[in-house]
Amino acid sequence: MIRVVIAEDEAPARDKLERWLSGYPDLEIVAAAADGLSAAQAIEAHEPDVAFLDIQMPGLSGLEVAAQLEQDRAPLVVFVTAFDEHAVKAFDLNAVDYLLKPYDKDRLSKTVHRIRERIEGGAPRGSAVQVARARTNTTERLLVPVGETLQLIDVATIEWLEADDNYVHVHTAARQYLVRRTLQDLLAQLGEQRFARIHRSTAVNVAEIQSLIPLFKGDYEVVLRRGGKLRLSRRFKDALFARMR
Amino acid sequence: MAVRPLSAITLPTPAPDEPLAGQRALYILWALFWALMIVVSVQDHVHAGGSRLWEPFLWEGASAIGATFWFLLQRRVAHRYDADLGEPLRWFARHLKWLPLVIATFVPAVYGARHAVYGLVGERYVHEPWPFVAVYESIKLLLFAGLWLGILFAFSSFAEWRRGQRRLASLERSLAEAQLAQLKAQLRPHFLFNALNTISALMHTDVDRADRLLARLSGLLRATLQTDERDRVALKDELQLLELYTQIMEERFAGRVTIEWDLDPDAADASVPALLLQPLLENAFKHGVEPSTTPVRISIRSERRDRELDLTVSNSGALPPAAGTGLGLRNCQERLALMYGAVARLMLSEASGVVMARVTLPYEEHRA
Repeated sequence: MIRVVIAEDEAPARDKLERWLSGYPDLEIVAAAADGLSAAQAIEAHEPDVAFLDIQMPGLSGLEVAAQLEQDRAPLVVFVTAFDEHAVKAFDLNAVDYLLKPYDKDRLSKTVHRIRERIEGGAPRGSAVQVARARTNTTERLLVPVGETLQLIDVATIEWLEADDNYVHVHTAARQYLVRRTLQDLLAQLGEQRFARIHRSTAVNVAEIQSLIPLFKGDYEVVLRRGGKLRLSRRFKDALFARMR
Repeated sequence: MAVRPLSAITLPTPAPDEPLAGQRALYILWALFWALMIVVSVQDHVHAGGSRLWEPFLWEGASAIGATFWFLLQRRVAHRYDADLGEPLRWFARHLKWLPLVIATFVPAVYGARHAVYGLVGERYVHEPWPFVAVYESIKLLLFAGLWLGILFAFSSFAEWRRGQRRLASLERSLAEAQLAQLKAQLRPHFLFNALNTISALMHTDVDRADRLLARLSGLLRATLQTDERDRVALKDELQLLELYTQIMEERFAGRVTIEWDLDPDAADASVPALLLQPLLENAFKHGVEPSTTPVRISIRSERRDRELDLTVSNSGALPPAAGTGLGLRNCQERLALMYGAVARLMLSEASGVVMARVTLPYEEHRA
């Protein structure tokens, strides 16, 4: 069974997609969301194989939802849009699937056919996430779980990131969040501008660094503006020093 | 066909004149003319038994130089006379006004030059008595001026005609571009394709509703295409258009928007600029309904207060950060200023969770 999440804010359009997709015996619609945040939550909760994301949605656009997904674990994304010339160009260039509204059954069945092929062939899913990140301002907002729901936080408020297996602890002054992402993928989303790797498992918001105190063996202690202390390993020392100069 | 007000269209700067080809032809003609004069003069001279060939060259050469001076002067200032090309008599009169000065400078200069050269080679330049020379040369110059002014007039007229053609072409082009931009903006591909998708969705559940929606969309497109932006329409017709639009949007955003109409019957026949409220309503949907996950209330109000007409489109919600910078509002404002000057105004405000666009304009009854 191919598990599908649908995200579309306009009820008639959502009904149409839902009705047509449920006509395929090998597809199972596990959730239908009416806005961006619910879509992200549904993807987080159900880990579907495929997500049909309408681009224009309240709260979080389809592109913003995709941008917040982890590249390696992301579902196969099919963007749905009425008119987005530039986005469509980018989709074509990067072999990202999309549906232009209004579409007919033939067009949808082509898409479903391609989905099956890609899933069977184990094709990489990252390109939709990459295109979405390139087309949205993902370096400024991060989607984090708060209780049962997801919430957007301002990336500038993050002090440091700590990897913990396939999770990352996101430390802000107020509290910390546990995000199911690899540190590498999170840094790819947030961009090199703001964060610097200081250890195999930690990255720091450069603006939060107050001072660096040398320790033995070339390691340093990183003192944060709000008092936190982190370890800078020798491996990352030169890169950080170069950036802080 | 929708047209933007003329003042809003940036006219392309007229292409620099391309007089080069025409000017060159004129100078060649001038040179050939004087070459011919010299040849004829030499022939005459030889025919009459003259032997010293430099004499005819001197006579005609001096004339050529004197005439060329005035010719070049005319070329320099020719454009000042272009405005009169439409009235040939005036054009010729303004040129001929200078003839006395031409005669007064040409004759002494040319004869002076001839006398000087003869003097240099130790000879005497023999010619008719001065009174005769004055009359003879004046008549000759008059005929000469008549001929060349005729030629110059033809050249200038042709150049002016060409300029006019080019101006017209570029004006038409920019008008067409403006029309296209307007058309594209009004059809708003997002709106159009989403509306079509709604119809395509409804078709499978409720054919009658889909059909009705299709008819409304057609009505809206037809009205948009037929309306000239400089036109004025009766408020009730403009409101009818808004109703078509809201009906389509209510289907699309089923359950997410409610529309309230609060219309003053005394205002129904007011004359308003066509498609004035449409962009305001579009904004209410775009910035009010589309980004909201909770239901939004839109209200459309008209009120006639004696000599003034008050039209408002409001929606629950907050002003977006960059409010007032969009094309729709600016277009609206420009049109109001163009049609009514300072007496009409458009204001955007936000108070207690309601965003309101209000247009105030003088009340005039619409005449069909």
